[in-house]
Amino acid sequence: MAAWVKGGAADVDAAVEAAVDLLAASRVPVLAGLSAEVSALRAAYRLAETLGASLDPVSGPSLYAELGALSVGGAMTTTRAETVGRADVVLILGNRPWDGDLIPEIAAATPSRGRAAGAERSLLSLGGPQNGATRHVAYAAEAGGLAVSLGHLRAFAKGHLAGEAAYADLARRLFAAQYGVVVYDPEEVGERGVEMLQGLIRDLNESTRFFALALADPFQGRAAVQLSAWTTGQAPRVGFGRYQPEHDPWRFDSARQIASGEADAALWLASLPAPRPDWLGRLPTVAIVGEGSPEAAGETAEIVITVGVPGQSVGGALWNERRGVIAYTEPKAATDAQTAAGVLARIRDRLIEKGVSC
Amino acid sequence: MSTLRLRGDLPERVDLLNITPLALSGLSEAEAGRLAIGTSRRGLTLGDAFEIKLDGSDSLVIEGGSSRLDRVGAALSQGSIRVEGDVGQRLGEGMAAGTLTVTGSAGPYAATGATGGTITVEGDAGDHAGGAVYAAKAGLDGATLIIKGAAGDSLGDRMRKGMILAGSAGAHAGSRMIAGTIVVSGALGDHPGYGMRRGTLIAGGHGALLPTFVETGTPDLVFVRLLAQSLKRLGAAQADLLGGTLRRYSGDLATLGKGELFVPA
Repeated sequence: MAAWVKGGAADVDAAVEAAVDLLAASRVPVLAGLSAEVSALRAAYRLAETLGASLDPVSGPSLYAELGALSVGGAMTTTRAETVGRADVVLILGNRPWDGDLIPEIAAATPSRGRAAGAERSLLSLGGPQNGATRHVAYAAEAGGLAVSLGHLRAFAKGHLAGEAAYADLARRLFAAQYGVVVYDPEEVGERGVEMLQGLIRDLNESTRFFALALADPFQGRAAVQLSAWTTGQAPRVGFGRYQPEHDPWRFDSARQIASGEADAALWLASLPAPRPDWLGRLPTVAIVGEGSPEAAGETAEIVITVGVPGQSVGGALWNERRGVIAYTEPKAATDAQTAAGVLARIRDRLIEKGVSC
Repeated sequence: MSTLRLRGDLPERVDLLNITPLALSGLSEAEAGRLAIGTSRRGLTLGDAFEIKLDGSDSLVIEGGSSRLDRVGAALSQGSIRVEGDVGQRLGEGMAAGTLTVTGSAGPYAATGATGGTITVEGDAGDHAGGAVYAAKAGLDGATLIIKGAAGDSLGDRMRKGMILAGSAGAHAGSRMIAGTIVVSGALGDHPGYGMRRGTLIAGGHGALLPTFVETGTPDLVFVRLLAQSLKRLGAAQADLLGGTLRRYSGDLATLGKGELFVPA
C-alpha cells in the first residue's frame, strides 16, 4: 500500500483527505478509466452520484461502437462456447480477432452439437492479416476499410449486385452455412460497420442461422456496461451534475471534456492495467492504480493511491470473456492490500461528512 | 424583442432547452433569472450567465455565443431565436416550428430530431448536423437546416424527413438516411450515403464513392427543376447547382438502394 500527494510519499489517510479536497473544489469532475473490478465500479458510480461527476470508461470507443448499433437496430449474438461447439462457418473480420487464442481454438475443433454437428468447419477471413498458421479462405478488404467492405458484401448477399466478384463468392459461402458466426472487434469495425454487419446477419437469417461474436474490450468495459445499466438504467457515459443520471456519449466523453477545458478535475481508476491517458499529469487528478503497475509512482498524478490488483492480490468480480459473464476471480496470492472499492468509499464518506453530498 | 446578453465566458456547459420566447413570455426578468441552466452541482442560473431584458414578444436574441451553449432553441414551437455568436451541441433539437438563426458556428447534432421550422447556421456546423443522437431512430425529421459554411462528418446521418443545405460536408454525408433531401453546393467527403435507404443527396463534388453506388445516367428530372424553384425561394446558393446536367448514382445497394446521389455531369 502506497500513496503520494504532489509527488511526495504520504500515508493513505492523508492521500484520501487530499483527494477529497481536490474533488470537492472542482466544478466539473470526471471519473475516468474504470478498468477495475465490479465492486470498484459500483463505488465509482456511487461517488459520482455524490459528487455530481460524470463517468467514462477507457473502453468507451469499443463499447459505443457496439452500443450505438445495438440501440438502434438490435443484435443477433452468440457466445464463444456456442461458436466452438456449433459453427460450421466462421467469418473473421479484420486483424484484431487474430491476436488472442480464440481463432486457434475455433480452428482446432469441428462442430460437435446442433444442426452442423459432424460437419467440417470452414474459416473465412475478411480484411485479415492472412495468417498462414491457421487454414482459412482469405478475402481482402476494400480500400475504404471494413465498414465499406461489409456494405459491399451485403449488396452481393442481398442480390443487389451480381457477378463473379470475390464478395459474391464469399456471400455464397455465408448462405451455405448451417450455423455461421462472424467474429469481430467492434472498435476496429466501427459503429457504422457494426450496424451494417448486423443488417447482413439479419439478411442471412432469412434462410439460415448466423450470429455475431463481438470481442470484449480488455478493460472491463462489458462489466461497466452491465453495472451502469443496473445502477443508472443507462450506458456507461453518464453524468450526475443535475442529480439524475443523464446519458450523453458526446458530452461525457472524458477525452473531449478534458481537451476542451470543461473538466477541471479527474479521478483515474485503474486497479487493472489500462492505457495511460495523456492528461494524467496535467489535470488535477486523483489516480487510483494497481500496486506494482507503471502508474504506481508519485509523478503519475497530483494524488496517487495504490490498491490491490483484482485476480492478483485481491479477489474481485471481473468480466470473463470466455464465458461472457461477470464472474468472481480468486486472488493468485492474496495480500491485505486495500481495495479500490474501499478507497473510493472512504473518499465518498469524507465528502458526505464535509457536506458535499447531494 | 427580448434579449439575453452573455456576461462572459461560461464556466460549464449550459442547457437552454427551456429558454424559448414562449417560456419567457410569462415571466418577469427576476423570475427568468432564477431559471436553472447549469449542468453541474453549482446551480448556475440564467441570471448568472446572462443580462436579461424581456418584453414578452415572440422573438429572442442571445447576444454573445459560446460553444458551451447546448440545446439552444430545442423544442421551439413558435417565434424566433437569434444567437449572435457560436452555440454548442443539439441546436434546435426536436424543434417543431419557428425560426432559429446562429450567426457563428454550431456544435455537433444541430437540428437533430427537428420536425419543423427553419434553422440557419451562418458559420460552420459540427459533426452529425441533422444527424441522429445515440439511440434515436432519426436525425432531422421535417425541419429545414441551412448551413452557410462547412458541415462536419455524418451530415444528415439517419435523417428521416426535411431538407439540409450546406456549403460543403465531411465524410459519410447522408449516411443511413431514411429519406429527405440534402443539397451541398461544394464537395462532400468520402463515402457519402453509407447505408442510405432512400433520400436524395445533391453535391458539387465528392470524395471516394462507395462500391455500392452505381451510375444510372444523366436523367432530366422534373423533380430537380421543382427543387431548384423551392431553393430559389429560400435564397440558397445551392440552386445554381441544379441548373446544369446532373449525373445520378443509385444506392446504397447494401440496404434498400432507393437513395440517390446527384453530381454535376
